Amino acid sequence: MVFLMLLLVILSGAVLCAQSAINGRLGADVGVLESAWLTFALGTLVSFLLAFFLEPPHAFTLFSVPRWQVAGAFFGVIYMLVIVFAMPRIGTAAATVAVISGQLLMSLLIDHFGWLGNAVIALGARRGCALVLLAVALVLIYQSNARREQAAQA
Amino acid sequence: MKHFWVLPLVVLAGMGLSVEAGLLGPLGAAAGHLWATLGIFGIGTTLLTLGLIFSRPRLGLLFAQPRWLLTGGLLGPVYVVALTLATPHIGVGLTMVGILFGQVAASLVIDHWGLLGSARRAVDRYRVGALVAILAALWLIH
Repeated sequence: MVFLMLLLVILSGAVLCAQSAINGRLGADVGVLESAWLTFALGTLVSFLLAFFLEPPHAFTLFSVPRWQVAGAFFGVIYMLVIVFAMPRIGTAAATVAVISGQLLMSLLIDHFGWLGNAVIALGARRGCALVLLAVALVLIYQSNARREQAAQA
Repeated sequence: MKHFWVLPLVVLAGMGLSVEAGLLGPLGAAAGHLWATLGIFGIGTTLLTLGLIFSRPRLGLLFAQPRWLLTGGLLGPVYVVALTLATPHIGVGLTMVGILFGQVAASLVIDHWGLLGSARRAVDRYRVGALVAILAALWLIH
């Protein structure tokens, strides 16, 4: 069961990446705003169907939780616009590595300062090393892209 | 690389995504994960629709594209369902590591063969190095 679930999350990570690649391609052909809009519109339709038919009743609904909890959407929209714009320009791997670095950097900051009502987990040696490794990954991907462009020009 | 400035922009967008995830978790626990997803997508669609109305939308072009290019939005909810199914069995930490691993591995594969209409960028030593560095960082954090 554990193995099956692990396979499922790895696959869904791959699906996430495929989605970004498809959106980037569509954005290059049609327009950044249009591509992001389509993703959100389809996402709304599908998640409405899933939520309406599959979710058991909860103590709260979207309309009874504090409004700021739904404010995450603003970040999601900006992310989608940036990724659609960036994908065709820097490639799938560079964009993915950059997004992940940003996510991990921010989650370490959130933990360190206890933002958003989270417990404080101080930035120790392990997490410091992890940040350095993320920076290394970004530099390596940048190097790979830069060399490829040099080769293309030569 | 002439698009160097795009890289920090994407890092910033990723940071925003973490804030979103931090907000989405408690919302999902209170109101249900699928409803939380609907809330995020619904608000996002509203904002972008407003944006489209006041720009010069070329939505007609969308429907002239091959249909597989329009499936991007269908895959997002798949991810949420997988997340809700898996987390109780393997825990949040392992779930995150699995997803990030899947993302990075898929991104290298997509670039290497130029799948899904993206430009070809072959796997080289630098890319393998980046993959190893990300995996090591994940291992250190979790």
